[in-house]
Amino acid sequence: MSLALFLQALSIGIVNGALYILTALGLTLIYGILHIVNFAHGELYMLGAMLVYLLFVAFEWPLWAAVPVIVLLSVLAGFAVERTIFRRLRGQWLQLLVATVGVSLIVQSVSWIAFGAQEKTVPSVLEGVLLLGTVRIPIERLAAAAIAMLLVALLYLVVYRTRTGLAMRAIEEDEETARMLGVDTDRVAGVSVALGFALAAMGGIFVAPIYSINPGMGLDAILMSFIIIIVGGLGSITGTVLAGFLIGIIQAIGSLALGAEAAHILVFVAMIAMLVFRPQGLMGRVR
Amino acid sequence: MRPVHQSPAPWLLVVLLALPFVASNYWLHVAIVVLMNITYTVALCAVLRMGYLSLGHAGFIALGAYTSVVCSVRFGLSPWFGMVAAAALCGVVAWGLGALTLRLRGIYFSLAVFAFGEIVVAIARAFDWLGGPSGIANVPRPSFFGIKLDTHFSFYWLAMALAVLLVTFFARLEQTRFGATLLTLKTEPGERLAESVGVNTAAHKAACFAMSCAAVGAMGAVHSMYLLFVNPQVFSFLMSTDLVIYAMIGGTTGFWGPVLGAGALTALGEQLFSVGYWKTLVYALILMGVILVVPGGLSAVSALWKREMTPRGGR
Repeated sequence: MSLALFLQALSIGIVNGALYILTALGLTLIYGILHIVNFAHGELYMLGAMLVYLLFVAFEWPLWAAVPVIVLLSVLAGFAVERTIFRRLRGQWLQLLVATVGVSLIVQSVSWIAFGAQEKTVPSVLEGVLLLGTVRIPIERLAAAAIAMLLVALLYLVVYRTRTGLAMRAIEEDEETARMLGVDTDRVAGVSVALGFALAAMGGIFVAPIYSINPGMGLDAILMSFIIIIVGGLGSITGTVLAGFLIGIIQAIGSLALGAEAAHILVFVAMIAMLVFRPQGLMGRVR
Repeated sequence: MRPVHQSPAPWLLVVLLALPFVASNYWLHVAIVVLMNITYTVALCAVLRMGYLSLGHAGFIALGAYTSVVCSVRFGLSPWFGMVAAAALCGVVAWGLGALTLRLRGIYFSLAVFAFGEIVVAIARAFDWLGGPSGIANVPRPSFFGIKLDTHFSFYWLAMALAVLLVTFFARLEQTRFGATLLTLKTEPGERLAESVGVNTAAHKAACFAMSCAAVGAMGAVHSMYLLFVNPQVFSFLMSTDLVIYAMIGGTTGFWGPVLGAGALTALGEQLFSVGYWKTLVYALILMGVILVVPGGLSAVSALWKREMTPRGGR
């Protein structure tokens, strides 16, 4: 592989990684509070993309109106799911995990029925290509990745600089003690799930003009996200960010060298290698 | 706690033996599908009972099916050999994956096995030698003492014999020392206790997962012979979740929970739905209803009812 090709793959990997991170971060956030991995997360990503198609393309809403509405809906969905399902099943990890699978299946099958199997496309919002030496990056992807990183920075601020973030970290450390000290765990759980849902929906919004959209796309996203949070270490925000880039880069270089399907296998091998040599992940703590 | 194992009624065996002489081909088809799903679900429950949720059992079914098909179609070996090879390979792979992930918390196992299931399908899709996206057709069926199992009637016996063998195996497993040890691993204090008296919990868990996957691998081989083809779409994530749904609705404890859960829902699904998404939607809605109302599954309802009837009542 020539250097130019390698650098091109590297840039694709970094941009894709930035987008994977959005979905994976929500999983990490919810894991910290509920100690389960939300299987329905990929469906938020799918709905985010699907609603861009519905509002922006089919209903011809302007983008500045469509995006806030989608984010608001995902936040409301987060509060609703936490209230009606997660809160009822807290502490029963098996039922909780299976319930998230159930939610995922319901959303997915309803979407197949409602939207049909035909691939949908959203026209590009930003045209143009950035040239860095020999490396070409479409402006649209670059912008999406940049906004994604901005959101990650914002999440850091929320988790490490606000009282709600402090409460989140307290619950993750020791829920019982946090509750004893007056932390309203139900409210914090609601906020975490809503934030996580909004991040996943935003991931979907950003990829809508880049990839074609169908109701099954959530499953691919969740597979990538799972591998990322295992590699990064469950519950670690920094680990998720690092692993997102790492997996994005491995996948992009693998695709170039071996083909797209084989790159999937390579990513899986990376996850297995992590489980063998460092099971707690890049930044996870040993428990 | 109620007894872990109720003896499976002998009349069930009588029904299974009499069925092919009275049922039409259509009902034999339903029976074969039901028996396969019951076997998968019972094997899945063996892992669930030690407190781990496998979200990728379809991956092992696929591994078994593809192993057997590669043996018979690509290498021209006997389908019987393919079946044994399928069980062996699934057992070994599951043991390896289990040894890596079962020492971590349950969620790592669930995620890793889910990823494994997706990767098996991705590999099958990626290589033309494995049939690519369209799969491999013209899978040969085995012969039994010169009788080729190419009718519903004759194939039923193979599916039924293997299902009864495997389901009985997992039911009996619970009564052995090994099986009893597995049940203690469900909770963290139980696991620590087992470790403190010298049980190698990691080896126990990996062995249990390997047995479960060897069983679904063997049945997966039979599955491919029944369908006469394999392709990546058959063994999608939805197959894994279907099995979890059967188990959670029926209840994971006892003999009847998984058997009735898988049996009733499969028979219902074969009757009602020709379109996959409606089936998934209805299954998932039933699942959510059961989880939110009776988290232990429907077999827990009967246990609850029995408890209400006892003099001390309630909890």
